[in-house]
Amino acid sequence: MTLALISLLTPLAMALLLLLSRSRSGWWVMGSSLVSLIAALGALHGVIQDGAQWMHLGGWDAPLAIRFRLMPVSALLLVFTALIHLLVSVYAERSRHSQTQRTDYWPLSSLLHASLAALWLSHDLFNWYITLELLGLVAVAMVTISGAKAYVPALRYLLLSLVASLFYLLGVVLLYGHYGVLDLALLADAAKADPTTRLALALMTLGLMLKAAFWPLHLWLPPAHASAPTAVSALLSALVVKGPLFILWLLWSELAPAELGQEAGPVIAVAGVLALIFGGWSALRAPYLKTLVAYSTVAQLGYAMMALGLLLHWQRPELHVALWLFVLAHGLAKVSMFLAAGEMQATLGSKSVGVLKGATQTMPIAMFAFAVAGGSLIGLPPSGGFLAKWVLLRPLLLEPAHWPWAAGVLIGTLMSAGYVFRVVVLSFDRAHPTRPDHRPDLFAQWLALLPALLVWGMALISDPLILWLTGGAP
Amino acid sequence: MVADGLFDGALGVLLLTLATAVLHARQLYTSVVLLIAFGLLLALTWARLGAPDLALAEAAIGAGLTGALLLSALARCGEAPPGPSRAPPLRVLPATLLALLVGIVLLRALWPLAEGPVLLPALALGQLPAAGVDHPVTAVLLNYRAWDTLLELVVLMLALLGVRQLHSAKQVIPPPWPLLLAWTRMLAPLALLVGGYVLWRGAFAPGGAFQAGALLAAGAVILRLNHLLPPVRWDNGLVRLLVVLGLGVFLAVGVVGLVGPGLGFGPVGTAWLAYPPALAGPLILTIEAAATLSIATTLTLLVVGEPEELRA
Amino acid sequence: MTLFYLCIGGGLFVLGLHSLLLRPHWLRAIMAINIMGSGVFMVMVALARRGDTTDPVLHALVVTGLVIAVSATAFALRLASGLLERTKKPEGGA
Repeated sequence: MTLALISLLTPLAMALLLLLSRSRSGWWVMGSSLVSLIAALGALHGVIQDGAQWMHLGGWDAPLAIRFRLMPVSALLLVFTALIHLLVSVYAERSRHSQTQRTDYWPLSSLLHASLAALWLSHDLFNWYITLELLGLVAVAMVTISGAKAYVPALRYLLLSLVASLFYLLGVVLLYGHYGVLDLALLADAAKADPTTRLALALMTLGLMLKAAFWPLHLWLPPAHASAPTAVSALLSALVVKGPLFILWLLWSELAPAELGQEAGPVIAVAGVLALIFGGWSALRAPYLKTLVAYSTVAQLGYAMMALGLLLHWQRPELHVALWLFVLAHGLAKVSMFLAAGEMQATLGSKSVGVLKGATQTMPIAMFAFAVAGGSLIGLPPSGGFLAKWVLLRPLLLEPAHWPWAAGVLIGTLMSAGYVFRVVVLSFDRAHPTRPDHRPDLFAQWLALLPALLVWGMALISDPLILWLTGGAP
Repeated sequence: MVADGLFDGALGVLLLTLATAVLHARQLYTSVVLLIAFGLLLALTWARLGAPDLALAEAAIGAGLTGALLLSALARCGEAPPGPSRAPPLRVLPATLLALLVGIVLLRALWPLAEGPVLLPALALGQLPAAGVDHPVTAVLLNYRAWDTLLELVVLMLALLGVRQLHSAKQVIPPPWPLLLAWTRMLAPLALLVGGYVLWRGAFAPGGAFQAGALLAAGAVILRLNHLLPPVRWDNGLVRLLVVLGLGVFLAVGVVGLVGPGLGFGPVGTAWLAYPPALAGPLILTIEAAATLSIATTLTLLVVGEPEELRA
Repeated sequence: MTLFYLCIGGGLFVLGLHSLLLRPHWLRAIMAINIMGSGVFMVMVALARRGDTTDPVLHALVVTGLVIAVSATAFALRLASGLLERTKKPEGGA
């Protein structure tokens, strides 16, 4: 548990040091991300050997104290967060198009890392409220780095995020008033399916769905992620929307009584299918490249929603393996896609999708990264995306009664293929390729390719990965 | 009993009326002023409900600083131009119906809560001797749930960092009004004194770091608005140190508590943010003092920080 | 008395929500969010009144909530005024 704590505290301390020294160098953040990654790997190793661990903050007993819980899923998420931060910070430091020169990108990115780590570890409802507010504020602050054009989407995101937090807080207060404790594990023992608990869960779910950009509460995401700087978009899509998802999963799988879960499950799963359809449709029609990638996030979250919904509907906790595999695969693929899109957009000089004409000739590596990441999003074997989809599909294909859900997954796959091929086909149009404004930066393009290769490499560690995730079933 | 009931009833009706007036007034200026009044009435309500710490905090933070923030925002962006300030009826009807529905469902859920289980107060009061302070709210904030307070300091700092990223026009502070100048010369040292007292008092009676920090910030704000204080600049190392100090001290205490036993410091804390019972009181006071300075500096920068000074 | 203030808190929350559903001016939206927040805090403080002693945990949570609310309000106001300075447009919508 100490290692997990180190993984959390290193970025926090680094942020404070950066603010004091007003340093604009990214090497410090890369260093602290690396330390955090190593500590997180150590924590993962520890939790796999010894099982889930608890820490009572302040040395007091629950229910008075806040508790930290380290389970395989949270350790894996700690590793994932540190890894993505390391990758993105290398890009932000080295790419000439990132906007880190005269802004506070570095301390903000460290604080984002620390906030996420605090969320993964916490097990107390009010503590989660504070981490959700932290995430919202740091995400909006990072979006505004791009300047005045981002102010409208940033303000809309901020206000919606604040309203969502208040809904969540009201739910927490209802639960506290009804059961007298804030700790999730204690509430899980005490929870019953009465009107107050129902309303509390509904309020909390509404708030968390909005923060996680679940369809139909996703409308704030595409403008915000598209107008943010490239590195920030990558962090937002890969990590920030997954935090509320974690809380939602724990809330429904541990706290909610089984009857309520069975009622809510189909609603969430159907919303997931609709997210796949409508998100994919919007991505197909998006005029700007980054908006396409942002809508792709909305669509891909549909898979996570389906996994969560079906997990609750059939009360099969093992479906959480599919949920977290999706999160990991989507995170890596989305980082790659955003970095590639950002590089291409900045080098070729326009925000629209049409600028990618002939990009396989002018920027082959970035286009390759985009295609490889897209392959994982579509679910081509043997990528991480395929692995996640396969774990979800297996129980769906076994019984004919579940085939409609499998049809939903298939439609989602087709739509992802649609928008990825839209971009790839355009880039192969070499008749009149768009001429780059600057010389393409090879290193940044290789950086964009790296996460895509990693997500395909997930298949190589699929067995241990599934074993770790299953071992941590709540 | 009847008098109590009448008082509560009047307070409740006033609160709801003021809230409605804030939200539906024609002019933004009216809304802002009414919101400040609402904040003061809310402080009264907290006092009525037996929460003096909250009354202090609400009066300083909720009414005072929020009011200053709103007025300065209104000054920057100007009054909304006259136009249809009533939303179209097509929007009002479904919104009202939805709000009524939510209200009814909420009321139905809140009704049984008046008789819910009450577990934590007994535990909190029972452990109070080991907590290092005599006031239960301070014990919860700085000992039992200290991690929440640490993260809350990060939230405050993040708001400042967010404001630092913005490009906005400079706000011209007009020359001070003579009466205001005279008042400020009296109020500012008083704010400092009362702030320090509230901080110290938090250990055994209502008070604490947040209330003290807000009072100090209020003093600094009125000094700045009367040009009695130079612009507070981010590139001034002392300012940055003050902003970061609260978090730094908090983290340092936590880390020392973690590694202490390993380095032979003796029976220091055994978990993250655990204080040894003998040292709990002084540690809490140290953390609170540092936090007060940070909160005061951050709130001052948030209210009167000028764009160029902040973006340095 | 707890029940009375619980209802007032709920009423404030709903009033703020209703105002937000009407898609008001940015500044008014921020004020509506403040009022919603005050409603939730009132529910918390009313709940703290149950039992023999007041609940210090809920009071501490409300202090935390108040500080978070002022931080978020400050950032939102600066962002909104930065936006409105440029456009001088009243109907920002929520």
